[in-house]
Amino acid sequence: MALSRDVPPQVVIPTFVDGRELAVWRSQSGRIAAWDDRCPHRGMRLSHGFVRGESLSCIYHGWSYNEAGLCQRIPAHPDLVPPEAIRVPTVAAVESDGIIWVASEPASQPPPTLTGLVALRSLTVEAPATAIATAAGMPIDQDGALRPDLAGIACVLLVQPIPGDRTVLHVLVASNASPAAQAAVSRALEDLRRRVESERLAA
Amino acid sequence: MILYDYILSPDCYKVRLLAALTGARITLRPVDFHPGGEHKTAPFLAMNPSGTIPIFEDDGLILTESSAILTYLAAKAGPAWLGDDTPAMRGRVAQWLAFSQRLSASIGKARVHDMLNKPADIQACRRAGTQCLREIEAALVEQRLAGHAFLAGDRPTIADIACFPHSMLAPDGGISVDPYPSIRLWTRSIRALPGFIEMPGIHRLHDLKPEPGPIPERV
Amino acid sequence: MTDTPMLNEWYPVGILTQLTKAGRDTLLMGEAINVACDSLGAPVVSAEDGRTLPVRARYGHVWTSLGSPTKELFDIPEADQPGRRLVDVGVVRVKCSPLRAVENFLDIAHFPFVHTDILGAEPHTEVQRYEVQIREEVDEVWATKVKFYQPQAAKSAAGGITTDYMYRVPAPTVSILYKTCPPRPGEWDVITLFVQPMAEDLCQVWPWMALFDDQTPMTDLIHFQQMIFLQDRSILENQLPRLLPLDPGMEIPTRADMTSVAYRRWLKRHGFTYGAQLVAA
Repeated sequence: MALSRDVPPQVVIPTFVDGRELAVWRSQSGRIAAWDDRCPHRGMRLSHGFVRGESLSCIYHGWSYNEAGLCQRIPAHPDLVPPEAIRVPTVAAVESDGIIWVASEPASQPPPTLTGLVALRSLTVEAPATAIATAAGMPIDQDGALRPDLAGIACVLLVQPIPGDRTVLHVLVASNASPAAQAAVSRALEDLRRRVESERLAA
Repeated sequence: MILYDYILSPDCYKVRLLAALTGARITLRPVDFHPGGEHKTAPFLAMNPSGTIPIFEDDGLILTESSAILTYLAAKAGPAWLGDDTPAMRGRVAQWLAFSQRLSASIGKARVHDMLNKPADIQACRRAGTQCLREIEAALVEQRLAGHAFLAGDRPTIADIACFPHSMLAPDGGISVDPYPSIRLWTRSIRALPGFIEMPGIHRLHDLKPEPGPIPERV
Repeated sequence: MTDTPMLNEWYPVGILTQLTKAGRDTLLMGEAINVACDSLGAPVVSAEDGRTLPVRARYGHVWTSLGSPTKELFDIPEADQPGRRLVDVGVVRVKCSPLRAVENFLDIAHFPFVHTDILGAEPHTEVQRYEVQIREEVDEVWATKVKFYQPQAAKSAAGGITTDYMYRVPAPTVSILYKTCPPRPGEWDVITLFVQPMAEDLCQVWPWMALFDDQTPMTDLIHFQQMIFLQDRSILENQLPRLLPLDPGMEIPTRADMTSVAYRRWLKRHGFTYGAQLVAA
């Protein structure tokens, strides 16, 4: 659901898994976590929050939650030990080969292996995954990926459907591709997106 | 140096921000833009016939375009911010200063429509704003591949100051910034600059401060 | 579903000094209305079906109602007190429940994080115990003896002070704040939040103030209050669910949230549910 490079320490991002809104964040020491994107206090999105050390705090009232999602501090009552009932629901998050994966249900299998590749960028397309597969001229494989050649470079496009008939593509390229070649792939991706979206608009 | 200023204007904020980052002293003169519409009154139209803010005044010089003000202020108070190390860098800075007009015309318009009820073709503004954000995102990806963290090079310049506020304030006009990971990291690095100041809608990075005390212990 | 108790309440729909004969189209609880003035400058509010709606001109604003108000518009005695400057701050539209906008205005614990270095700052985050009551004789929610440390409590404040507050909710979408008045100890500055419900998840906010402050230029006062409210706007547009949950279970209050708890209870008691949700989703 995201490239590891796009979530460095102390960064929180909003995303989705199976239509559920998530805040994914990395602690100062590098731990990745995926939680419901909602502070149990007043419903504020935690993806607007801030990371100090190993905890994530809500921007609204500064309530902070430890790595397990348990509330550990309520600034309005600095001496209070928050009741254990105050916790943010979490989902499993793992990282492999430069990609962050989350699963709302316990995953039956580990994420696919993507060796020999380097993460380039993620981009959101205003079209469902099927429309992108059609434009790329290939089906989505068992790893949830498209594997086209773009700008003459072998690419892997991991497909993440998100609500609103939109799709996020997380793109990896062969790790020996030069920066100039990677930039060419990035432009080819923009072109692919333009084609998919204009076809959708025409239809 | 006098800035005729409105607290909610991203174009005025650019000037305040650059002044804060360079340590330049400017005098702020608040303008009752909303609800008063003071910028459309005779004394202001005499200074700026186009009826917009910011207006910047220094020693008889009057500037009314935010990109021109940034250029002047940088030349005067922090020449490194001009980004004229090489012809290419200078070109990129000029490119983004011009581009920032598209941000004002799209995201800026959507924002005052959604916030202050000013008239606009809101769908067209949002489409154009999304297109602008996609262009910034793609440019930042290519800059990263070239080893540069900022729009015009490896350090922040007035190009970044010109494009930063609208890129962060897009949600005020109903334009999501969630789909742009490179914009997120770029705006974070601007907010982390020493001397950074915020404006309403752009919160400071609370993560730069330590926790104020120990975590209450469970017994 | 139309909320009858709230239909009979008064709502702000315009600034008195900015009315025009052509009028301005807006929405009140989903219904299109036009807010104009007649040839003498008196406010006129009409509905889409041609109905002329009841009108009050008070506290710098035009007030109207889609139903038949059973109560007169609430009183703010300080509005007529000599020496106060009355400030029309201007309208701000927010994509949130009108009730969430009021509840946020009643909250102090967010000051250090949302209004950093102005209305609050770490490490001064503690909210001391204060008093909350529903005053049955006037049917209003009141919070008193509220205290908070503020780095710059008002435009006229030079440095940090512990500020005293009182909050009052006289109508479902109105909150009045009484606050330490730095230039005039013993008096209270009055800062209000008048909210126009456009839809259950969309509102217009018309802040208004009655201050003892002869020094600060009017524009500075307006900018200060707009700055504060616009810092809240990005919070209000990102709360889930969009509607204010009136039943316990969906959100977790603490002692600092006593005003909010009383406000929600008072809304529920009166059936003021436009912009609220009653069952945890």
